[in-house]
Amino acid sequence: MWWILIKLAWRNLFRNTRRTFIAGTAIGIGLAALIFVDALWIGMEENMIRIATSSFLGDGQIHQEDFRQTQEVERTINQHHQVLSNLKQEEVVAHFTPRTFVFGMITSPAHVIAAALVGVDPVTEKYLSHVDEMITEGGYFEGDNERNIVIGSKMAEVLEVEIGDRVVATVSQAKTGDLAQEMFRISGVFHFHNHEMNRGMAFIRLEKSQQILGLKDDVHQIAIKFTDVKYGQDKLLPFWSKYSKYGNEAVSWTEILPELETIFEWTNVSKVLLGFVFFIIVVFGIINTLFMSLYERMFEFGVLRAIGTRPSRMAQLILFEAGSLGVLSIGIGIILGLITTYICSKTGIDYTGIEVAGVTIQELIYPVMVIDQFIFYPFWVLVFTTITGLYPAWYAARMSPAEAMRRVG
Amino acid sequence: MTSHQVIVTEDLTKTYSANDVPVYALRGINLTITAGEFTAIVGPSGSGKTTFLNIISGLDQPTEGKVWLSEELLSNMSGRQLSDFRRDNIGFIFQAYNLIPVLTVGENIEYIMLLQGIPKLERHQRVVDILEVVGLAGYIDRKPPQLSGGQQQRVAIARAMVSQPTIILADEPTANLDSKTGSELLDMMYQLNKRTGMTFVFSTHDQTVMDRAQRLITLKDGLIDNDNVRE
Repeated sequence: MWWILIKLAWRNLFRNTRRTFIAGTAIGIGLAALIFVDALWIGMEENMIRIATSSFLGDGQIHQEDFRQTQEVERTINQHHQVLSNLKQEEVVAHFTPRTFVFGMITSPAHVIAAALVGVDPVTEKYLSHVDEMITEGGYFEGDNERNIVIGSKMAEVLEVEIGDRVVATVSQAKTGDLAQEMFRISGVFHFHNHEMNRGMAFIRLEKSQQILGLKDDVHQIAIKFTDVKYGQDKLLPFWSKYSKYGNEAVSWTEILPELETIFEWTNVSKVLLGFVFFIIVVFGIINTLFMSLYERMFEFGVLRAIGTRPSRMAQLILFEAGSLGVLSIGIGIILGLITTYICSKTGIDYTGIEVAGVTIQELIYPVMVIDQFIFYPFWVLVFTTITGLYPAWYAARMSPAEAMRRVG
Repeated sequence: MTSHQVIVTEDLTKTYSANDVPVYALRGINLTITAGEFTAIVGPSGSGKTTFLNIISGLDQPTEGKVWLSEELLSNMSGRQLSDFRRDNIGFIFQAYNLIPVLTVGENIEYIMLLQGIPKLERHQRVVDILEVVGLAGYIDRKPPQLSGGQQQRVAIARAMVSQPTIILADEPTANLDSKTGSELLDMMYQLNKRTGMTFVFSTHDQTVMDRAQRLITLKDGLIDNDNVRE
C-alpha cells in the first residue's frame, strides 16, 4: 500500500512540472546557499586562525600563571628545562620555541616609541611565526651579531631609522626593577598586515634579551605549533592540563585571542539565523505548492476518500508529496551547492585587506567542502518539508468526501 | 430489515444553510432498495438526487433520519469504519470518470484492492479479468488521458466492480458521453447486473437510463414524487 502511495505522490508532483520545478528550485537554491555559506565560513575560519596563529601567536602558549595579566618581567616559566624537555616528546606538538617578552622603550636619535621587545631563538622561531617571511628590508638575524634587532615597518617610520641605524632599548630588569639600556643595530624591517605589530613590536636574540633582563636562561613564553591546527580549538586536549602545573599555564589561541573565538561563535549564530530564514521560505514554499495542488485535485481527493481511502492514508499521501518535493529540492540544492562551492574552492574568493577581529585577511578564501554539509543540511530540508506537509495533510485527512466533490462538481 | 434489503432509509432529511436560511435538499425520504435492483433516481436539478446518493453511501451525513446499508446502520460508524465499509461494499461511478490520471488503467483498478489488502497475484488476475469484461483488454498500461471518454468510463466501471461490492452507485454516469457510447455502457452495466446480481442505483437525467431501469424513483423538492417498479 505504501508503495502505491509513494508512486502516486511522486507522479502527482510532476502533474504541474513548472510549478514543482519553481518550488523545488527555490528550495534548492536556499539549500545550495546554506552549503556554500557553511563552506565559505569554514574556509574563512581556517584562514583567520592560520593568520592569527602563524603570524606570531602559535596554536598555544605556555607561561607562568598570571604572566598574561601582569606582564611582570620576573614571572618566567617554572621548571622550563623540564617543560622544554617534555615538549620534545609530545606527539601532538610539531614545533615550539621559547621567548622572552617585555614592554620597554626604543629610542632613536629622532624619536622614542613604546614597544614589546621579544627575545627569540631565530632558528626555532621560523617554525612558529612568519616574521622571517615578512622581512621587507635587511634580513632576519643573519650572521651572529647579538646586537641585531628586527623592527616593524611603522616603528622604523616613526623612529626615522633605516637598516644599519642604531637604536637604544630601555627595559626594566627582573627582580631589581632597575632600568637597563642596550644599544642595537637595525638588521631587518618586517611588515605584517597588522598595524599593531608593525608599530609596536621588535625582535632581538633570546640570549641577549635574557642578559639585559637579568633572566639567566629563563623564558617568559613557549609558543607551540601543533601537528593539527584543530588541536588549538580542542579545549579537552590533555595537553592543556598536562602543562598547566608547576605554577605554569598552557593556553590555546582561543584564550589568548578570545575576540576571534567570539567571532566564530557569532558565525555559528548567523548560520543558525540564515538557516531559520531559509526554513521559513521552505515552509511557505511547500505549503503554497501543496495547497495549490490540493485545491486543484479536490474532486480527486473526494473520489479517493469515496472509494475507501482512510483519512490517515490521505494524510500519508500528502506527506509523501511533501517529502517527494523535499527530495527533488535536495537533489537540485546538492547539485547547485556542489558546483558553486567546488568552483569557488578552486578559484578562491578575494577578501584580502578586510580586517576581522584584528586579523587582516591576507590571502584568497577557499570554501572548504565537508561531507556534513551534504548530509546535515539536506537531512533538515527533508525533515522540514515533511513537517511542513503536516498541515496540508491534516487538512486533506479531515476533508469530507462529499464536501470535496461538491466544491468542484 | 431483511437480508434482501440492501438499502433502507428512514425519514431521511438533509438541510443546508444558505445565508442562515435553511434549504431542504431531502425532506424525510423513506425508501427500500432490494438486492439486484437496477434503479434509477431521476428528477430535475436540485431535486436531491446527488445528496441522496451521497448520504446512502456514507459520503455525507443526514441532518435527520437513518440509513441502513447491507444491514449496517451508517450513523453508528466512525470515519474510518465508513471508509472501510465503502471500500468493501460500494462501488462508485462518477459523471466525470474521475480516474487518477497519473496512474495507469491497471493501477487505477488495482488501487481499491490494495486498500483491501488483496494479494498481488489475485489483484493482477482480477484486473485482467475485469478489463476483459469491460472490453478494454490490452489497455492495462495506458494512462487515462490516453483514453476516450467512453473508455475512461469503462475503466471507472471496472474500478467500481473489481472489489466485488454489494451495490454500485452511479451519479450521472452517461452525462458526459455521446448517446451511442452511453447506451453501450448502459447495456454493459445491465448485463453485469443480470450476471452478478449486484445492485445498481443511478442518479440520472438520461432517458436511456430511465428506459432501462427496473425501478424509477422520481425526486422532487426533496421528496419522492413517484416510485415506479416495472415488471
